[in-house]
Amino acid sequence: MRPGAEPTDGDIVRAVLAGERERYAQLVERYRDRYARYAARMLGSADAAEDAVQDAFVRAFDQLAQCKEPDNFVGWFFLILRNRCFAERRRSRATAPLEAADSVAAADRTDGGAETAERRRALQLALLELTPDQREVFVLKHVEGLSYGQIAERLSTSVASLKMRMHRAYDRLREQLREHA
Amino acid sequence: MSDHDFHPLVKQLLDGDLTLAELPAELRAEGEEALRLLAAADRTPVSMPAVTWRVMAALERRRRRIRPWLLAPALAIAAAFILWIWPARLTAPPPLVTVRFVLVAPDAKAVSLAGTFNQWDAHATPLVRAGATGVWTATLSLPAGQHQYAFVVDGQRWVPDPGAPAVDDGFGRRNSVLTL
Repeated sequence: MRPGAEPTDGDIVRAVLAGERERYAQLVERYRDRYARYAARMLGSADAAEDAVQDAFVRAFDQLAQCKEPDNFVGWFFLILRNRCFAERRRSRATAPLEAADSVAAADRTDGGAETAERRRALQLALLELTPDQREVFVLKHVEGLSYGQIAERLSTSVASLKMRMHRAYDRLREQLREHA
Repeated sequence: MSDHDFHPLVKQLLDGDLTLAELPAELRAEGEEALRLLAAADRTPVSMPAVTWRVMAALERRRRRIRPWLLAPALAIAAAFILWIWPARLTAPPPLVTVRFVLVAPDAKAVSLAGTFNQWDAHATPLVRAGATGVWTATLSLPAGQHQYAFVVDGQRWVPDPGAPAVDDGFGRRNSVLTL
C-alpha cells in the first residue's frame, strides 16, 4: 500500500487474516450501506434488513480465509448477504406483509403525498408476493439501478434468463396490484 | 397469456429498450400504466450506522466467550507447576493475562480506559486509534481475577464496554466486568 493511500479491500482482508481483527471495522464501514436498501426491499422490513446485514458481515468474517479475491470482497460479501436474505424470507414469510406495510409507511413520512405513499405501499406488498428470484431481479434493476449485464455478472447467470424472470415479475406485479386496487 | 400480462412491447418499455413514443398508439395507455408501476418503486436510500458497532461487538463478545475455555487449562497447568516446583510461592501475585480492549467510536477525539486496575484514573490508560478508522484499542497485562472498568470518551462521557457484561456501580452508572 502506498503511504497515505486509502487501503484497498485486499489490504484490509490480508491485515485481518494476519491478526488485526479490528481492521475489519473498516470493511463494515465501507460497505454496510451499499446493500442496505437491497436487503430492506428484499425482506420488506428495515429491522430484518439490519439483522441480515449484520449477520452477513459476521459470517463473512468467519469465512474470510475462503475469500478467493480479497480485492473483490464486496462481490463476495454480496453473495453471502443474498443467501441470508433468501433464507430469512423463507423463514419469515408468514409475517412479512405487515412488516412491509410498516417499513414503507415509515419511509413515506419524509416524502409527502398520500397517493405516492399508497402506490409505494401497494407495490412493496406486491413485491413480497413474487418469488425471491423474481423480486431480486426487480430490486436490482429498478431500485438499485443496475443493468441486466451487471446483474448477470453479479449473479453468474445469463441476461436472457434474467429477462425471462423479470417479465414474469412484471405480469405478477400487475396482477397483484389489480387484485388489491 | 392472461388478462394481467403486459404486452411484450410494454415489457420492452419497462426494460428501457423502448420509449413510450415508440409504442403503437393502442398500447400507450398500457405503457403509461406500466410506467406508473415502476415509478412506485421505493428508491429511498437506507443507512445502517449502527451495523459497524454491532458487528464488531458481536465478534468481540464471541472472542471473549471462547477465551475462558482456552485459558482454563493453561492456568490449571501453570498453577500445578507452581505448586509442584515452588510451594513457597503460594502467596505470589496472580499471573498476568494480556487483554486487548476495543471500542468503535468513529466520532471520538480521545478514548481512555478507567477501572479497578488503574484506580479509575480517566487519564492513565489512553486507547490508540487504528489509522483513519473509528476503532480504538489498548492492550494491557492484567492480573488474573475480576476487574471492573469503563471507557471514557473525550474525557467526559463514561461508556460501558458494549461487548462485556456490566454491573451497577451504585452511583447510577454501569461498569463493565472482565473476569480473567
